[in-house]
Amino acid sequence: MKKEPLHIASDGTETIDPAQEKQTLKFLFTPAAPPKSEGAPNPHAKASTQVGETIDALRGEFGDAVGEVVEYAGEQTVFVERERIVEVVRFLKAQGFTYLSDLGTIDRFTEDDRFEVFYSLCHIPKRKRIRVKLRVGDGISVPSITGVHRAATWHEREAWDMMGISFDGHPDLRRMFMPEDFEYHPARKEFPTLGIPGSLPLPPQENDGEITLDPFARAHGNIPED
Amino acid sequence: MEIKNRPFAVDTVRQDPDDETFTFWPRHNEALYKRLESKHVHIEQGDPLEAEMTLNIGPQHPATHGVLRVVVKLDGENIRTAVLDIGYLHRGLEKFAEVKTFQEFMPYTDRMDYMSPYNSNVAWCLSVEKLANIEVPQRAQWIRTMMCECARISAHLLWIGTMVMDAGALSVFLWTFKYREELYSIFDEVAGARFTVSHSRIGGVAFDVSPTALDLIQRFCDNFQNDIADWKKLLNRNRIWIDRNKDIGTLSAEECLDLGFTGPNLRACGIDYDIRIFEPYLKYDEVEFDVPMRTEGDSLARYFVRVEEMEQSLRIIRQCLDRLRGPNEVKGPIRADNAKHAYASKDEVYYSMEGMIHDFLMTDVGVAPPDGVEVYHATEAPKGELGFFLASDGTGSPWRMKINSPSFCNLQGLEHLLEGAMVADTVVLIGSIDPVMGEADK
Repeated sequence: MKKEPLHIASDGTETIDPAQEKQTLKFLFTPAAPPKSEGAPNPHAKASTQVGETIDALRGEFGDAVGEVVEYAGEQTVFVERERIVEVVRFLKAQGFTYLSDLGTIDRFTEDDRFEVFYSLCHIPKRKRIRVKLRVGDGISVPSITGVHRAATWHEREAWDMMGISFDGHPDLRRMFMPEDFEYHPARKEFPTLGIPGSLPLPPQENDGEITLDPFARAHGNIPED
Repeated sequence: MEIKNRPFAVDTVRQDPDDETFTFWPRHNEALYKRLESKHVHIEQGDPLEAEMTLNIGPQHPATHGVLRVVVKLDGENIRTAVLDIGYLHRGLEKFAEVKTFQEFMPYTDRMDYMSPYNSNVAWCLSVEKLANIEVPQRAQWIRTMMCECARISAHLLWIGTMVMDAGALSVFLWTFKYREELYSIFDEVAGARFTVSHSRIGGVAFDVSPTALDLIQRFCDNFQNDIADWKKLLNRNRIWIDRNKDIGTLSAEECLDLGFTGPNLRACGIDYDIRIFEPYLKYDEVEFDVPMRTEGDSLARYFVRVEEMEQSLRIIRQCLDRLRGPNEVKGPIRADNAKHAYASKDEVYYSMEGMIHDFLMTDVGVAPPDGVEVYHATEAPKGELGFFLASDGTGSPWRMKINSPSFCNLQGLEHLLEGAMVADTVVLIGSIDPVMGEADK
């Protein structure tokens, strides 16, 4: 078969269409080396998350209120008792963990105390980061740490809005993202991804129309008969 | 004291149940105004007119940095109390992530900080890689570092353009957008998309950078270096610019830490917190750069920090270019060499059965980290510390994902900055902390 030139340049050189060239397989990413064993060190582990000394100091100060320490990928998470969280955070602040970088929640809804709240605190001069965690059941409130770190104000509001965990002593526990009129906590596992029909009234679809109660009517199975 | 001027105030709506002036979420507005009344902020400056007014700014316009709503109580021209209302762009990204595979969620991160999508992509990939213990090839890390810095310049360019425009000058906006346009061309060449790039992949990047792209970046560096010097000449000693920014929104270092500010806002108060130094990721421990700092903590200091950061980004990009071509080139694959960790190359997918099976499996199930583990990986986005907290249940999608977004943290402090400021400085203050609502509203 004659190969048709794809392009002939001014000096007469021909470019051949790559589709007509004989294809050679180039397996650039076929595993050449055996896969790593499970226990291999994490390449993304950071020195900043090794906080053994601080955890020892916490144990010395609070004793049994400090629970187990979980480690994965070089990150140490220390569990503390819910009632002592304000003291723990205040103690850590005195130790130099003056910056609250993150506060979040996890819903382990099959377990007894279904929620976990975690606090990520930074020691800026020493370059250390510690994660403190507590367990809390549904309907039980957590002491607010806004008295120690004002940065927690919005994070705790977000936790209330999304997970429905209330915080004792919070100065302004309004919802963060959802309107006050919304009655659910959407990050909980039982909240459906498509939302609950009627839970969030939206503007009418046409002028002088009714308020839209279910923006996903079809997806919820309400298909008009006509 | 009865306050008359209250747009959408609920008690005026609620008196008559049939009144339909405000039909949606009346309780939300009620709570917002109640909060405004209940805040106790002591401001020394008295007002001779003793007039009090509640003003609703937003959720649009304030020199549109997004759908941010600010409700302020004015005492003459001074803001006595301010309440921020966010959530107008809330899309439930954290909920979305729970029903998507790790790779499927990546395009959503483009829409978080849409000024610098590359940084969000990389932040997401790094978190997933840390969770699933995936090693990224060296070349991919250099590409990511370089493109993250390009995205940082792009974000700061937009910031400086709009910020100077907020303060009343238009021409800088046009100059910065010339370079943003060039950066878009670079992203187009590198990733195939100008805006929402999604170039990073779990375990590496989608494809290698072309020689054309490297030339474009080199040319950008050469031109930009000169122009940024010109802008500094124009702005650093500009009387109007300085008068508009100096001693506006001043924060002390303690306040800044306590309020949870992050990124350039924190460094403008003299706190040395840059994730690239704090916990180095990618290649930031192998490149040389300085972290610009100021101690004044006012709006002008934040400007200096950001402009100097752009120059440092250029330095980093130059060093990355050096490692991506020429004698010091880091050669090798651009994605992890493991079918359980990253997509197979297209060559492999098109010409081998195993490759195709792996491609299907990656799309269907994706990366499956161990059960019951959790990680947090922080990165330094242009706005500050951007991190994803991931908790795994051993499947291809996270059990829980929590975004730690810098704009959210910065906006929290804005409420404090506004109290005691003049109402005319509102726009400058919003501009100077550089929020992006796509990220703050999650």
